[in-house]
Amino acid sequence: MSVAEQRIDTLQRVELAEGIEIHLRAAGPFLRLVAYLIDLLVELALLAVLGLIINVAFPVLGENVGQAFYLLAVFVIWWFYHVIFELSPWGATVGKRAFGMRVVNEAGGAVTMGQSMIRNFIRGVECVLPFVPLIAFFNPRFQRLGDLAAGSLVVYSRPRKDPIVPGPPPLNAIPVNVTLTREEEAAILSFRYRSGSWSAARQVELANHLSGLTGETGPKGVTRVLGMAHWLEEQR
Amino acid sequence: MNRQEFEARNREEWQSFEADLEIAEKGKAGPGEVSLPSRFRKICYDLSLAQYRMFGHQICDRLNGLAIRGYRLIHRKRGGFGEATVDFVLRTFPQTVRREWRLFALVSLVFWLPFFVMWGLGEREIQWVQAFLGAEQMASIEQMYGKDSDTAEHLREEHGSNFMMFAFYIQNNVGIDFRIFAGGIFFGIGTLFYLLFNGLYFGAVIAYVEYVGEPELLWSFVAGHSSFELLGFLVVGMAGLKIGLALLSPGQLSRAEALSKAGREALPLLIGGAAMTVLAAVVEGFWSAQAVATKLKYAVGITFWLLHGFYFTSVGRGTAWSLRK
Repeated sequence: MSVAEQRIDTLQRVELAEGIEIHLRAAGPFLRLVAYLIDLLVELALLAVLGLIINVAFPVLGENVGQAFYLLAVFVIWWFYHVIFELSPWGATVGKRAFGMRVVNEAGGAVTMGQSMIRNFIRGVECVLPFVPLIAFFNPRFQRLGDLAAGSLVVYSRPRKDPIVPGPPPLNAIPVNVTLTREEEAAILSFRYRSGSWSAARQVELANHLSGLTGETGPKGVTRVLGMAHWLEEQR
Repeated sequence: MNRQEFEARNREEWQSFEADLEIAEKGKAGPGEVSLPSRFRKICYDLSLAQYRMFGHQICDRLNGLAIRGYRLIHRKRGGFGEATVDFVLRTFPQTVRREWRLFALVSLVFWLPFFVMWGLGEREIQWVQAFLGAEQMASIEQMYGKDSDTAEHLREEHGSNFMMFAFYIQNNVGIDFRIFAGGIFFGIGTLFYLLFNGLYFGAVIAYVEYVGEPELLWSFVAGHSSFELLGFLVVGMAGLKIGLALLSPGQLSRAEALSKAGREALPLLIGGAAMTVLAAVVEGFWSAQAVATKLKYAVGITFWLLHGFYFTSVGRGTAWSLRK
C-alpha cells in the first residue's frame, strides 16, 4: 500500500511492463550475514563429504586422479556454490532459503549466470576490508558493492507473517459526515484491523490524533473510531 | 465494492492461479498452463485495484506475491545455451575486446613493462631477481628447469598425473583470474597489483632460469599454453580495470549507476578471459609437458599466438551473425 510520499519501510517499488507496480521487500545485512555463515558451513560440509568419498574411492582411481577430483571440487564449491544455487529454481543458497530470501534482478526476476558470478566473486574481495560490505546499510535496497555491480538485490520472497488482530467488534456503526480521501479511509480501516495487537494506551494515543473527526479523546475516541471503520466498511 | 466483496468474488480465481503456478514452477505441464498468461493479467489488474483502493496489506501482499511469481514464470528465459555460446565466441567476446582496446593497451603496459624490466635487470644484476624470488622459489625453479633436470617429463609417466596437473591449473589459475577481476572493486588497485606482480614474477623466473638453468626446458614447456594463459590473464585484467575505472571516474552517472553499467560491460571479458584460462589449463596439463620435439612445441605455440591475433582482430566483424538480431 503506497500511502504517503515519505516512506519509512524497506519496500522497493518496481513498475513492470504489465502496468502494475510490485513491491519487493529488500533483505537487510544482518540476516544476510547469518545466511552467509550458514552457507560457509554448508560449503565446508560438502567439501568434507567429497573428501571422504574420494578417500574411499582413491585406491580404485589412483592417487593422482583422486587428488585431481578433489581440486576440481574445491574450485567448483569455492567459486560456484552460490552461483549454482542462485540459478536453481530456489533462486537462493541454502542459508538464504532458510530465511525465505531470494536473489533477484532489479525488476524482481531471476538473475542471470553473469550477474550471479559478478555479485559472488566481488564478495570475496569486499570482505578483505570488513567495513566495505557495510555500505549495504547506506543503500535503500541494501545492496553491497557486488550487488551494485551485478544489478541484483536480495529480497524476502515469502509473505510477511504479520497476523491481523482486529479490534473488538464495534457495537454500533457511526456515520462519517465528512468526505475522506482514500488514504484517510484506509488508515481508519487498518486501525480496526490492527488495533487488536496494540495495548489500550497505544490505541488511545493513536485515536487521539483523530479527535478532530470523532470529537472525543481517550477510550471513547477509540470506540468511535472503531464504529466509524465499521460504518465505512459495512453500512455505507 | 468493498474489501470483503472483492475478496469473496475473486478468492477462487486466486487460489486456482496459485495452484497452477505451483505446478508450472516445478516444470510440469498442468491443465491450467495454457491460460496462465491471461489469468496473470487478471492478477495484475486485481493487484492495481487493491492497491488503489487500499484494501489492506493482507490482500495487497498476497496479490503482490502472486504477481511476482507470475512475472518470474512468464518472463523466464530457458534454453538457447548452445546458440548463446556460439554467439559469444564468434561475436560478443572478440567485439568487446576490440571495443575496449584502450584498456587492453593499458593492461598490456602494466604487465609487459615490469616483465621486461625484471628480465633485463636479471641479465645485468642477478641479485635483484634473487631478492625478488626468495630462496624457496629459486630452489623449486632450479629443480624444474635446472641444468640436468627433466622433472616435468619424468613426472608425467605416472598414471593420471596429466589430469592432476590440469585440475591444479584450473583451481589455481582460474581462481586467480576471478580475484584479478574482483580486485577491481578497490578502484582498480587490486587488479593493477596482480598484473604488475605477475609481470615482475614471470620476468624474474625467466631471468633466473637463464642464469642457473636450461632456458630451453622452460620455453618449450610454456610455449603451447602461453598465448591462452597470458591473453586470458590480460583480458580478465581489463574486466577488473573496467570496474575500477567506473568507480574512479563515473562521468555523468552516479558511482552506483556507473558500477552497474561497468559490471554489465565487463561480463564478456570476465567470462571470455576465464574460458581462455581453462583452455590454457587443458593445453598445459595435457600437452605442454609431453615428450615431443622442442621444435614442434615452438611451432604449436607460435601457431596459437597467430590464431589468437587473428581471432581478436578479425572474428565477428562480418554481418553474417548480425542478421539474427
